[in-house]
Amino acid sequence: MIVAEQKPLQEIRGLIASYEKILVLGCGTCMTVCGAGGEKEVSLLHDALRIAQARGGDESHSFLEYTVKRQCDSEFLNVLEDSVKEVDAILSLGCGVGVQTVAARFPDIPSLPGVNTTFMGAAEEWGVWDERCAACGDCRLAETAGICPITRCAKGILNGPCAGSKNGKCEANKDMDCAWALIYKRLERLGQLEKMRRYYPPRNFRTIPRPRRITSKASIEPGGANG
Amino acid sequence: MDSVRLDAYKSYNSNAAKRPSFDHTFVPPCQAACPLHMEIREYVDLIAQGRVMEALQVIREDNPFPSICAYICNHPCEDACRRGQIDKPIAIRALKRFAVEFGGDRVIQPEAETTHEERIAIVGSGSAGLSAAYYLRKLGYPVTVFEACSELGGMLRAGIPKYRLPREVLDTEVQRLIQMGVEIRTNTRVVSLDLLFDMDYKAVFITVGAAQSRRLGIEGEDKPGVVDAITFLREVNLGLRPSIGESVVVVGGGNVAVDAARTALRLDAKKVDLVCLESRQEMPAFESDIQAAASEGIVINCSWGPRSIVADDKVTGIEFIRCTSVFDGGGRFDPSFDESVKTSLTADTLIIAIGQVPQIPEDFRVRIGRGSTIRVDPVTLTTNREGVFAGGDAVTGPATVVQALATGRQAAFRIDDYLQHRYPLVGKEEKESLLGDLLPKTIEMIRKLNRFEPPVLSPQARAKEFEPVELVYDWKSAVNEARRCLRCGMGAEILFRDKCAACLTCLRVCPYHVPYLDDSGTVQIPADQCQACGICVGECPARAIVLRKPQDRRHIDEELDHALKTAAQSKSRPLIIGFCCQYGLYGTGALARLWRQAKAGIWIVPVLCVAKIEAEHILRAFEMGAEGVFIAGCGQEQCAREDTAFWALQRIGKARKVLAQIGLEPKRLQAFNLCPTEGDPAKALDEFTERIGELHLASAIEQEVKT
Repeated sequence: MIVAEQKPLQEIRGLIASYEKILVLGCGTCMTVCGAGGEKEVSLLHDALRIAQARGGDESHSFLEYTVKRQCDSEFLNVLEDSVKEVDAILSLGCGVGVQTVAARFPDIPSLPGVNTTFMGAAEEWGVWDERCAACGDCRLAETAGICPITRCAKGILNGPCAGSKNGKCEANKDMDCAWALIYKRLERLGQLEKMRRYYPPRNFRTIPRPRRITSKASIEPGGANG
Repeated sequence: MDSVRLDAYKSYNSNAAKRPSFDHTFVPPCQAACPLHMEIREYVDLIAQGRVMEALQVIREDNPFPSICAYICNHPCEDACRRGQIDKPIAIRALKRFAVEFGGDRVIQPEAETTHEERIAIVGSGSAGLSAAYYLRKLGYPVTVFEACSELGGMLRAGIPKYRLPREVLDTEVQRLIQMGVEIRTNTRVVSLDLLFDMDYKAVFITVGAAQSRRLGIEGEDKPGVVDAITFLREVNLGLRPSIGESVVVVGGGNVAVDAARTALRLDAKKVDLVCLESRQEMPAFESDIQAAASEGIVINCSWGPRSIVADDKVTGIEFIRCTSVFDGGGRFDPSFDESVKTSLTADTLIIAIGQVPQIPEDFRVRIGRGSTIRVDPVTLTTNREGVFAGGDAVTGPATVVQALATGRQAAFRIDDYLQHRYPLVGKEEKESLLGDLLPKTIEMIRKLNRFEPPVLSPQARAKEFEPVELVYDWKSAVNEARRCLRCGMGAEILFRDKCAACLTCLRVCPYHVPYLDDSGTVQIPADQCQACGICVGECPARAIVLRKPQDRRHIDEELDHALKTAAQSKSRPLIIGFCCQYGLYGTGALARLWRQAKAGIWIVPVLCVAKIEAEHILRAFEMGAEGVFIAGCGQEQCAREDTAFWALQRIGKARKVLAQIGLEPKRLQAFNLCPTEGDPAKALDEFTERIGELHLASAIEQEVKT
């Protein structure tokens, strides 16, 4: 799941300052799950903006709020067609993908990000999320006992642990588990410690040629579609 | 007329009129078990909030004679109460008694408007007859109650001893009926129904009860000193003081036997023995009454069958043989005895209480079924004769008061249908009852809370008196007892399935581990396990979860609106909004006193548990001009819920974060009294008010400087 956190109120107020009518748009998928931009957060942000405005006294915005099922597929945005005509800007509480899809779907209206999209991760417990995947495009989890050293090791090294591992913790942050210590323990538990003794050649650390695209449909020769 | 009928129907068909379709609550087990289908969960909840008068209103809606039930109901609701699976059931009857005594039950029934011409005769003035009279009169019919005795009440007056039901209580209820315009004919034994029809009655309801005692069928039963229990109780209850000697033996194991034994003890008897066929566990009398009898000194002799009465010209004793079993394999009454094991007791008086049967005059010409009871259609209560209805003990055999009240109500509506030529509007239960026990893992998480028993008169004090044995709760115990209620069937539900992102927040925040993921990956909140604390409702990021009861959903919003509106009209400044738990004594008592004394304009938003307050509520108060907001819990250990303080503090934290970003001092928002260990809430509130006062002053000066 994509994890994000809401931008500070001050920053959001700065973003919307020059627009009068603003649609606060939530997203019903990842942003709901990570508590950054679901229906509840949309209404809380709406309340906060209203009070801030009332106290400031020199701005007058009006707000609409709506939460779609998923902002990153433009079909879900079709319901907004009418209400969007009435607003000057959309404050999207979707992740970066959502903000861009909204921008593409409504090209004439500014689409502003209300959250900082931060990482892909999982809930550790209620209200706590941890990063788990860096989307490197070259997954090695089979060799590292299902624990990703790229994401969870501060250095992202493939042949760990380094000398900074102490009592299973990382030298960069004493509260953080050393990913390689975790990998060792889990390999031991799986009876696969020999994977520790192997040398892993460096990955392709070249800059990933962005943006990446994945196509799952087969390419069909022209004319083939008609049977 | 329509409104009257609607009102009456509301209370009877307690579904259609009262419950809009978006009410998703379930009928709790207590209500399902009550023959009158009283809204027990609602009135217990009101008592828990200290709103006793409103509780009594709810009670009155479904019960024609609440004060009678408050004393003598056998409370099937308590047997069904799911608190019993955790510790002990809620003391529902005792709470009703409290509501009746403290809720100002001085209602004077206005005379009901007569909107129908058809006169209705009620034969017999027991519980069923009085209840039918009450409802028929409310429906606007001229009603006449015929009673063979000199006073109304049937078994309520002649059978039930005064120490269980004080006569003033009965008299008050009877007086209300008279005020409603029910015509009373006492000392009038109806011997023929034809005569009633000749007198232009269009419908007759027979509720003559079951007052004929069964006979033992052994020799000596007609000797002086042998008396049947019904006659004995009637004599005592109607003010006679029969001479019974010093030793009394009561034969029988039912409620009448126990009543007779306890009554005898309150007369001259020095030694009272109760002898019954059944073993101690099989005795049909209510367990609490048996225990009370034993504590008063009555000797309970179980598993003995009377064999012969020893008498010369007067009874002197009775011989028993061992009863080895009372019922046959099929559960039918078929006692077997062991002749070789014998015992005997001396007795000055022998009271026979082995059951009663109805005695229906032959001239009634109604069909009689098993056990001399009248045969009726169970739905319409019609007999074989047109326009003649029957109910109560005369139909069922000896039963409970609350059953009789329910039958009376049923009869009233069926008679109405008959007279208005309508197909019977039989109350269909539209709402589902809550089935299913609590799961062990839920039970484990629910706080165990002791049941508060109402005080009773000491056994020494009661043995020679006819004073009521059970006393009434004091305010504190009643409120605390009511707070134990689990509010079955009114918990949370995922109303908007399409919104649910399956984020599992509800699973993670529920203190009782109620929500679960089913095999298809959908989150379920089983209604029979949910404890209605509302925490998941406040935390659901998709706002997919709501409380099942519509009033609960908007309760805080509405109360807040109300408080803000009232506050807007007031001049007192600074404006402080306090969200206060209404459960327990704090919200209604201690706190109310505090804020009345405070100098600032403090406005209270009553909440039903602080865990239901959301950050939005707090922010709205500030938006509408509040300069300070405080949240006060009930601060009592008697809270039936878990983790409420933790979640209240979470939401306060969230609101403070927003306040800080807006530039409002987070200290304008304060919580206190969330748990019993905290300091004095009065002091905390004073300090808070003072602080807000200072902030108010500072901002006022700032404003002044600016201008």
